[in-house]
Amino acid sequence: MVKISVLQHAPEAHLPTRPGDPTPTSRNLDPLMHPFARARERTRALNAAKMDRIFAKPFIDSLEGHIDAVEVLARQPGSLTTVASGSWDGGIILHNLSTRNKLVKLPRAHKGKVSGLCFAEGDRLLSCGVDRNIKLWSTGSNASDQPLSVFSGKSAFNSIDHHRSDPVFATASNLVQIWDETKSAPISNLTFPTSTETITSVRFNLSEHSVLASIGSDRTFTLYDIRTGKAERRVIMQFRSNALAWSPTFPTTILLASEDHNLYTFDIRHLSTPSQIYKAHVAAVMSCDWSPTGLEFVSGGWDRTVRIWKEGQGHSPEVYHTKRMQRVSSSMFSADARFVITGSDDGNVRIWKAKASDKLGVITARERASMEYRDSLKDRWKFDTEVNKIARTRHLPKPVYQASKLKRTMLEAQRVKEERRRKHTRAGETKPKAERKKVVIVEQT
Amino acid sequence: MDSLIAKADAIQPLGKKRKLSHPKKPKEASSTDRTLHSVAKHTSVPKSFSKLPEAPATYNHIANKKLRAELNRHTAQATRAKALLEDAEMLLADEAGKIEVEGEMERTWRVGQDEIAKGAGQEAARGRREWKLDGGPYRSRYTRNGRHLAIVGRMGHVATFDWMTGNLHSELQLQETCRDITFLHDQSHYAVAQKKYVFIYDRDGVELHCLKAHIEPTRLEFLPYHWLLASTGNSGYLKYQDTSTGQLLVEHKTKLGACTTMCQNAHNAVIHLGHQNGCVTLWTPNLPHPAVQLLAHLGPVVSVSVDPSQGGRYMATAGKDGTVKVWDCRNWKGAVRNWTVRSGGDVELEWSARGALAVASGGGVNIYTRPSIHTPMHTKTPPPLYLTHPIPHRPLTSVRFAPFQDILITGHAAGLSSIIVPGAGEPNFDSSEADPFENKKARREKEVKALLDKIQPDMITLDPEFVGSLAPPSKLTTGTTVDGKPATEIPFARLPRMERLKVSGKADETEENSEEEWLDDNGKKMSREERERRRQRGKGKSLKRYLRKQRKNVIDPTAVAIRKKLEKQRQEKERARSAAKNGGQEPRKPSALDRFKRAS
Repeated sequence: MVKISVLQHAPEAHLPTRPGDPTPTSRNLDPLMHPFARARERTRALNAAKMDRIFAKPFIDSLEGHIDAVEVLARQPGSLTTVASGSWDGGIILHNLSTRNKLVKLPRAHKGKVSGLCFAEGDRLLSCGVDRNIKLWSTGSNASDQPLSVFSGKSAFNSIDHHRSDPVFATASNLVQIWDETKSAPISNLTFPTSTETITSVRFNLSEHSVLASIGSDRTFTLYDIRTGKAERRVIMQFRSNALAWSPTFPTTILLASEDHNLYTFDIRHLSTPSQIYKAHVAAVMSCDWSPTGLEFVSGGWDRTVRIWKEGQGHSPEVYHTKRMQRVSSSMFSADARFVITGSDDGNVRIWKAKASDKLGVITARERASMEYRDSLKDRWKFDTEVNKIARTRHLPKPVYQASKLKRTMLEAQRVKEERRRKHTRAGETKPKAERKKVVIVEQT
Repeated sequence: MDSLIAKADAIQPLGKKRKLSHPKKPKEASSTDRTLHSVAKHTSVPKSFSKLPEAPATYNHIANKKLRAELNRHTAQATRAKALLEDAEMLLADEAGKIEVEGEMERTWRVGQDEIAKGAGQEAARGRREWKLDGGPYRSRYTRNGRHLAIVGRMGHVATFDWMTGNLHSELQLQETCRDITFLHDQSHYAVAQKKYVFIYDRDGVELHCLKAHIEPTRLEFLPYHWLLASTGNSGYLKYQDTSTGQLLVEHKTKLGACTTMCQNAHNAVIHLGHQNGCVTLWTPNLPHPAVQLLAHLGPVVSVSVDPSQGGRYMATAGKDGTVKVWDCRNWKGAVRNWTVRSGGDVELEWSARGALAVASGGGVNIYTRPSIHTPMHTKTPPPLYLTHPIPHRPLTSVRFAPFQDILITGHAAGLSSIIVPGAGEPNFDSSEADPFENKKARREKEVKALLDKIQPDMITLDPEFVGSLAPPSKLTTGTTVDGKPATEIPFARLPRMERLKVSGKADETEENSEEEWLDDNGKKMSREERERRRQRGKGKSLKRYLRKQRKNVIDPTAVAIRKKLEKQRQEKERARSAAKNGGQEPRKPSALDRFKRAS
C-alpha cells in the first residue's frame, strides 16, 4: 500500500477572508529562499545613504532684525520657542522660533555691543554690554523698552550667566563677579591670584550649581566655586579659547572652542589632557553649545561654517553653510535638540535642523519604521566603501575646501619633518608627543 | 568644586575598577522576592529574554575596546538570531508532499500518475493535465511565484496564462520559428526568442520591444534580481540586456560556436552554457571570458541545469550521447555521478526546488531524488528511480517544475503534459520574494521594490557571499620587508621613498654596475670573492660613484646623460679591444661617400 500526499496550498490561508481585508503574508526564513540577501541589503543601504543626502535640506529660516553682527544667543529655560539674540549694534530681540516673529524688540538696549545674554527666573532677561552696564528686562506680557533694573560695573562686561536656581548671576570682565539680582553691587569678586587677564566668557555648571568656569584672554581656563569664593584650578593652554559650554548630562565634562581651529572636551578631574579633540574647522571656533541630550554639540566658526559634532567622535562632523552666512559668532541648540540656531556677522539669526535630512511635520508609523530601518542599514553598512563615501561626502564652499586642503598639507609636512628630524637624531632623544598632550601647557591650583 | 569632583566619581571611566562602597546585599532578600514568585508561577519568560547561547569570545585579541565591544555585540546578536531562526521553522504551515511505500518490494516508481491523481486531493489533482496543441514541440516557463505559465511552440504559437484559474492572458500566432520564452520580472512582461530577434511582449501580448542586438536567439534566461535578460544564439554570443534601463549591458563572444543550451544558477546569477564541443562554460557579465570552462561530455551538450536546493552546489549536464552527469560546483574534478539514458533523443534536465532531478529523454520523464542523486558513485549506474512517466510524443523539448507546487510540465511534439511529482515543490513560500496568491497591488508594489533593490550587474560573481565580507588587502601597501622588519601593512604614504617608487612602478631599476662587467671569460657570473678581487680601484670612480649615489632617485636627465656617457666610453674601449684583436687595424669608419658605392 502506498501513501501519497501532494503539496497543496489552502487558499483560505493565503487569501483575504473578506473583500477589503489585507492579503495574509507568509514568511520562510530559509536563506535559500532569499538569494542575494546581502547584495540586496547593500543596495538598500546604498539607497538609504543616497536618500539621506537627497533629503538633506537643513536650512529652515533666517530671522532678520539686527543691523550688525549677532554676538550672543540665549534660550529661555523651559521654553521650546523663545530665543533672545543680542547684536553688536546694542539691540536685543526676542524671537519666537515657531511663528518666527519678534516677541520683544529692544533696539538700543546697550551702547556698543551686547556681549552677554541670559534668562532669569520669571520671564526676565539679563543682558550685559561693553557700556559697563547690566540690565534686567522684563520679557513677558508686561514687556517694555525700559529695563527693570540696571547694574553698573567698573569695566566692560564680556559675558553673563545666571545661576540655575538662586537669584544670582555671574559676569565676566577683567574678573569674575557674582551679583545678586536684588543688590546693585557685586556680592563677590572671583579671580585667580596671579591673573591679569580679561575674562571672555563665564558659565555655571548645570548640575553642580555653584561651580563655574571661565576662559580668559591669556589662554587660560579657570574653575571657581562660589561657595568658597575663590578660583580652584587654572589651566593655561597653547591657544586661547573663544567659548565654553558645560555638558548637560555629564557634569564633569566641559567643552572649549579654541582659537586653534579645534574644540576640546575636558574632564575636569583630569585637566592635564583633553578627553577628546574635535578637528574639522579651518579657522578659529567662535562658539559652541551642547545639545540637551549631551550626545551632540554645535560649533560655529570664523570659517563661516556651522558644524554639528557627535560627542566622542573627533572628526567628520555635519557641516552647514550658505552663501550669505558670514562668520558665525554664536550658535545654540534648541531645547528639544531638533534644531540649531546660529547668529552670524551678517546680522541674521538662522534656524537649522540638527539632523540635516530630518522630516518635519507628522510622521506616520510606517514612515517612522522605514526611517529607522534605513538608519540601521546605514549603520550596518557604514564600512562599505561606497556607502561610506556617500554618507561622508559633504560639499564645502571653495574657500573652506581649499583651506582644509592647505591645512592638511601643512600638517602632513610638519609630521613628516618631525619624523625625519627624529630619525636623524640619536635614538631615544626625542619622543613623539601625543597630540592630546600638546594642548595644555600648565595646570595651576 | 570638591563636592562636584567627589560626586563625579560615580561616573568615572569604566576602565578603572570602582570601589564598592556598600557591601553586597544579603542574598535572601532577592530569594524571597514575593512578587517574582507569584508572577513566575503563571508566566513564562519571553523567548527573546531567555538565556540563549552566548557568542564565543573571539575578539580578545583586539586592543580597541570600542571595536571589541561592538564586534562582541554583533556576534552575540547573530548567534541569538540564528537560535531564534530555528524556532521560526515551527511557523511554517505547509508540508511537502511525499510518496511512502510500505513493503521492501514496493517501489515508488511503480506508482502511476492515475494513482497519484486519485490519491491527491481534488485541488492538487488539477496539476495532472494534458494540453493537446499543434505547432509543437513546445517549451514552457513559469513565473517565479509559479502562478503563471508561458508556452511557446516551435511554429510560433505563444500563450501565457494563469494555470490555476485557467485565465488566459495572451495568445499569439507569430508565424515564425520561436525557440524559447521567458517571463521577465513577473507575468506582466515576457520575452520570446524568435527567428531573428528577441521580442518583448506585455501581458496582453502587445509587442513592446524588438531587441535587434540579440540575433538568432536560441535560449533566454532572466536574472530577476539584476533585471538582466540573457540570451544566447546561433551566432555564439551571450548577450545581457538590462530590462530596467533598456541598455545592452555586455555581449560575450563564447568562441565555441552556436549554443543551444543555457541555464542560470539562481543563487549567484551565473549563466551556464553548454556547447557543441562538449564544454560547459560559466559566465558573469563582468568577465570577458568564462569564469569556469569544463569539458563535460564527448560530443555536444544538450542540457544543463543547476540544483537550487543546495544553494547552487550541484549541476547536472546531459550530452548528445545520452550521458547524464551530476557535477559538484565547488570542485570540478570529475562528475559526482554519471549514467546513460537509453531511450534515444536529446535529454532534457531540470532540478526542482527541493532537489528532484527530472530527466526527459525519448520515451518519457524519469525523476530522481535526493540524497542518492548527490552521492558520489564511480560506476555508471543510474540512481534509484523515484517516479517515471511515459510520454509517447517525441521529441520532449522542455521540462519545468512549477515553483511551490508538486508539478512537472513537459513540453513535447503534441503539446504539453503536466504530471504530479509529490515532494518536488517547496511548500512554504515567502511573500516578500514570490507569492502565488499576490494581488494586483502587491504585484505593483513588488515591482517597485524590486527595481529599488536591483543589484548592479558587476556584483555577479561565482561566490555571492563576497558582498559585505572583508576586502582584500589594499594595493597601496607592500609586502616587502622594510629595514629588515617583517612584512607589515604599511600605508603607501608611510613607505620609504624607494618602496613607494617601486610600488608605483617609477623606480629607477637600472643597476649601477652593468651585468656583463662581472662576467668571467667563460661568460659565467663571477662569485662574490672573485668580484671583490677583480675590482679595479679608482677607475672611472667619480662618475660611477655619482651614479651610485643617484640610484635612490627617479630617472633624472643628469643621471641619464652620465649613464650614456659611461656606455659610450665602454663601447669605445670595446672597439679598441676588438681592433687590437684584429691586428691593430681599426675598423673603417663609415663615410658620407658610402652612398655612392656600388652594392657588390
